[in-house]
Amino acid sequence: MSKGLKNVFIAILVVFMSLSLFAGCGSDDQTGTGDNEQPVQTGQSDESAQPSEADDDNVSFHSDQPLKFSLLYSSNPDYPYKEDWLIWKAIKDKTNVSFDVMVVPMSDYAQKRSLLISTGDAPYIIPKTYHPDEVQFIPSGAILPVSDYVDKMPNFSRQVKEWGLEDEINTYKQKDGKYYLLPGLHEILTPDYGVAMRTDILEKNNIPLPNTWDEMYEALKKLKQLYPDTYPLSDRYQAKSLLNIAAPTFGKAAAGWGAGDGVYYDRDNDKFIFYPTTDDYKNFLAYFNKLIKEGLMDPESFTQNDDQAIQKFVTGKSFVISANSQHLTGLRKTMDETVGKDAYEVKKLIPPAGPAGPVITGSRLENGIMISSKAKDDPNFEQMLKFIDWLWYSDEGQILCKWGVEGTTYKRTADGKFELMPDITFQWMNPSGTKDLRKDFGFGNGVFILMYGGPKYLAESYMSPEDLEFVNEVNSKRELLPAAPPILYDEGEREQANMLSTPLMDYVESMTLKFILGDASLESDWDKYVQDCKQKGSDRLVELANKVYQSTKDVLK
Amino acid sequence: MINSSRGYKVFQVVNVLIMLVVIFVTLYPFIYLAAISFSSESYVYAGEVAFLPKGFTTMTYEVLMKEKDFWTGYKNTIVYTIVGTAICLFMTTILAYPLSKKRLKGRGIILAFIVFTMYFNGGLIPNYLLVKHLGMRNTIWAITIPGAISTYNMIIMRTFFEGLPNELEEAAMIDGMGTYRILVSIILPLSKPIMATMALFYAVGAWNNWFGPFLYFDKQEMFPVTLYLRNMIAGAQQTAVSSGSNTEDLTQIAATVKAATTILTVLPILCVYPFIQKYFVAGVMIGSLKE
Amino acid sequence: MAINAGNINEVELKSSLRKETIKSIKKDWQLYSLLILPIIYYIIFKYGPLYGNIIAFRKYVPGGPVYGTEWVGFRYFEMFITDPTFWNVFKNNIILSVGSLIFGFPLPIIFALLLNELSNGLFKRVVQTTSYLPHFLSAVIVAEIIMEMLSPTSGVINMLIKTLGGEPIHFLASPEWFRPIYWISGIWQETGWGAIIYLAALSNISPELYEAAAIDGAGRWQQTVHITIPGIMPTIIILLILNIGGLMGVGFEKILLLYNPLTYSTADVISTYLYRMGLESNNFSYATAIGLFESIIGFTLVTVANYVSRKLTDTSLW
Repeated sequence: MSKGLKNVFIAILVVFMSLSLFAGCGSDDQTGTGDNEQPVQTGQSDESAQPSEADDDNVSFHSDQPLKFSLLYSSNPDYPYKEDWLIWKAIKDKTNVSFDVMVVPMSDYAQKRSLLISTGDAPYIIPKTYHPDEVQFIPSGAILPVSDYVDKMPNFSRQVKEWGLEDEINTYKQKDGKYYLLPGLHEILTPDYGVAMRTDILEKNNIPLPNTWDEMYEALKKLKQLYPDTYPLSDRYQAKSLLNIAAPTFGKAAAGWGAGDGVYYDRDNDKFIFYPTTDDYKNFLAYFNKLIKEGLMDPESFTQNDDQAIQKFVTGKSFVISANSQHLTGLRKTMDETVGKDAYEVKKLIPPAGPAGPVITGSRLENGIMISSKAKDDPNFEQMLKFIDWLWYSDEGQILCKWGVEGTTYKRTADGKFELMPDITFQWMNPSGTKDLRKDFGFGNGVFILMYGGPKYLAESYMSPEDLEFVNEVNSKRELLPAAPPILYDEGEREQANMLSTPLMDYVESMTLKFILGDASLESDWDKYVQDCKQKGSDRLVELANKVYQSTKDVLK
Repeated sequence: MINSSRGYKVFQVVNVLIMLVVIFVTLYPFIYLAAISFSSESYVYAGEVAFLPKGFTTMTYEVLMKEKDFWTGYKNTIVYTIVGTAICLFMTTILAYPLSKKRLKGRGIILAFIVFTMYFNGGLIPNYLLVKHLGMRNTIWAITIPGAISTYNMIIMRTFFEGLPNELEEAAMIDGMGTYRILVSIILPLSKPIMATMALFYAVGAWNNWFGPFLYFDKQEMFPVTLYLRNMIAGAQQTAVSSGSNTEDLTQIAATVKAATTILTVLPILCVYPFIQKYFVAGVMIGSLKE
Repeated sequence: MAINAGNINEVELKSSLRKETIKSIKKDWQLYSLLILPIIYYIIFKYGPLYGNIIAFRKYVPGGPVYGTEWVGFRYFEMFITDPTFWNVFKNNIILSVGSLIFGFPLPIIFALLLNELSNGLFKRVVQTTSYLPHFLSAVIVAEIIMEMLSPTSGVINMLIKTLGGEPIHFLASPEWFRPIYWISGIWQETGWGAIIYLAALSNISPELYEAAAIDGAGRWQQTVHITIPGIMPTIIILLILNIGGLMGVGFEKILLLYNPLTYSTADVISTYLYRMGLESNNFSYATAIGLFESIIGFTLVTVANYVSRKLTDTSLW
């Protein structure tokens, strides 16, 4: 007995030891094909591609040999990755290309991407990258300067030229004059964030729809008189969207609040200034401070979470809230039950105009693709470039990614409009459909498309009539501020700027909220605030920015 | 019993009251989540759900039940938890037991050597590279072996072993029992409470571990359910915070779905504790001493 | 070579010591054999990756070599040592974690002792089980619950304040409230979980001791003081030492979700500051330097705590 037990214990020990050893060996052959090896290469050279001219100038792509490219895939929890989606087959049928997919949950995509690139395990194609996230990977040479290869990407080059995106692409350039991210492209600007209002309440009380911030103030004021127990404006997104929209209308220099380092481009004088200490910025703060002081805006707007803000809006405790089109649909769905269908009306207003005019900021570039440097050594590298060009930038590729397979997921009407098959639903389309274009087929997938990106007709094909109206209204009534030129820091300068701006902007952000909420006074505390900013290095930061800007101007032309 | 004095009775009443408060504050969030998960979405957003579901529906669960990935994740999590806990318990025990013997030469040095690693680690990338070079990526070993011993748990277990009476072992040694046999047939039966506790700690750790699988697995079919949950909850949080100007690929997960997923994900591991409590009874020692 | 008597003695002493060691290893070889696998494990999985810390002294670029590209000496250390903001967040870090230790450490012990006094077994189990539930909620959900409870307009806490005739407090916008919120939510989340270990330790106390004490006429209170607490004392001390060593750790995700620019002055800690800085450029070297600094503090603290404990009590880590 005693010996038996002892033996059992030793046996367990041995098993565990060997298990842990085998863990190493056993899985080695698995990984051999799995991760650190290059994707299976069956096709070989350029000749196998048969670029054929489609209608308009779109260049099509098909490989004679089956090809496989590795892809980093950000899996959206709304439509988690599925191996058997039709989109994979559809791409394969069209191009003879399939993906070796590395699935990463969207919630922590950036972290895994950084780890994979750092350890040399990154797939060839790395989409869903937001500028300037690519910048950190440039010094090591881990990602390709894609600008060197755009001549092999006819669809991309054509879109950039035809849609006049050169200036915006310029803002992606680095000190070497190259850019490292293939951005997603929009033919038209498709702003989405606006201010949603309970238009039925406004109408009932004869309050006109506000077109400017002053009119907004008047409207809120009347609402407050009529409903003294409410905060007429109680915002979501911690009011970031609202401030984002408002900031540029108080002074054209501002190109976005809360993001960046406080250094903004002053076009009139062709130099950079520190915006948060200007009078324009002060006026902007004064406006929101007035809203808070008079009880027109909920002071919780800056700290509450979205659900709390929504709750106030749908229960009639507030009448104004920031929204985008998807969130607007959500609000309506809830209010149909809480307020009652037809008992309310909500409309998303275009961004109000301010003292600096009816201006908005925005970009027609969006998240895009990085390409791993090791892809360059692949015999099928050129094929891959052409494939990327086709899938993300040709009309044909984008129709496939957005709408799927004609006759299966969609059909085209006589006048060329896209229509989903009756039992397929997507966003606002076919709400009674039983299958979802994204969840069940993988089309309309954020990895391959930008919701309202691409050519105008394709962007519009996705928009609900209401969205379309909103986008058209913004484009016709608002003026887009031109993009600021990039400051081409080198690595050391960027580090220096970053070390200065993080604590500085922390201070600015906290003072911004204090000024708005009235915890700090714009009369008595402003001068000290300006002094503190200087003391925290705002002057040095601006000086650095201007020095770099002036000395690298020629790189951009 | 002599100890049932008046003061002690008062204390017991107060104690029960305190415990009732504890039950309320710790249970409420779960009642709330459960209520949300059975409510219609609109009432949740209107803030009308508190204790009981409003607009009662089981739709949320029905939808979730149909989600294949969720169940694959579930199955994975169970496998990872069982294998991981077994490895951890084994490794921790064989380390903690020798270290509980004060007579062991070099004990102090070994302990300092081990405790050092609680504070110094190589960081994400070297750890990832190690697992990669051992060929463990995309295998269960990537998430079970590197964390096989939690030094914290090992020290707790060792402290427990130190508290065991020495006489038993000495007697066994005189009887000619070897260390292995003493460990298996004398120490372990006496250590049920700590073994149960460690099993719980490791199992909970393995169950909740989304980060390891996130780092080392590239295949969706290997993801545990917690990674599914993480993507859902943190993904939605992320898009809510980063509101850009363009229409993005937003994640809109209904509060009801989040609540239902949270409940389904944590429920099985919650059920482990009551099962383990039966080992927390005083007197495990007594029988063995008299033997 | 002149060998004097003292040296001979030393040599003899050494060799006899060695003999003793060999003897003890021989005698306890089975005990030692158990250590082999775990020690290999520690060498491979815990010591193996330590080389990564070298990038605190070398410049690292993401995608470049793991050990960095060039020596920069103490440049990254100088960067944070000379950064006044770093010392602010360092101070916040310490205050948050010391508070958690002071408030959070004794409660699981008290809770376990109170549980121990419950005479109804079923009720005891129910309390035990519910009390550990909050441990399983993710930081996102905990943050959501906190935000809802603390809302000045709709939150439970402020409704209570209002019914008592007070003015509602905008908790999340007030720097002075951040710390209590952090501590209290931590206590709520971890007390039940933390008590488990003491419950296990309690079951290790021999009932005979209680019987003997009861015969001697000791009441419950005296039994608690003289039997129960000494019985779990080694566990308490060990956990205290470990917690002192873990003093630099704070709940990064919870802070990130609960703080805002208005509360940076009390809420911002090292990890959140690094996070905001990292948004711009992923400076791994800088983060590693700070990490190393924290490690040294942690290890020093645990060593000192261990030393003190060994002098004052019988219990120590090593």
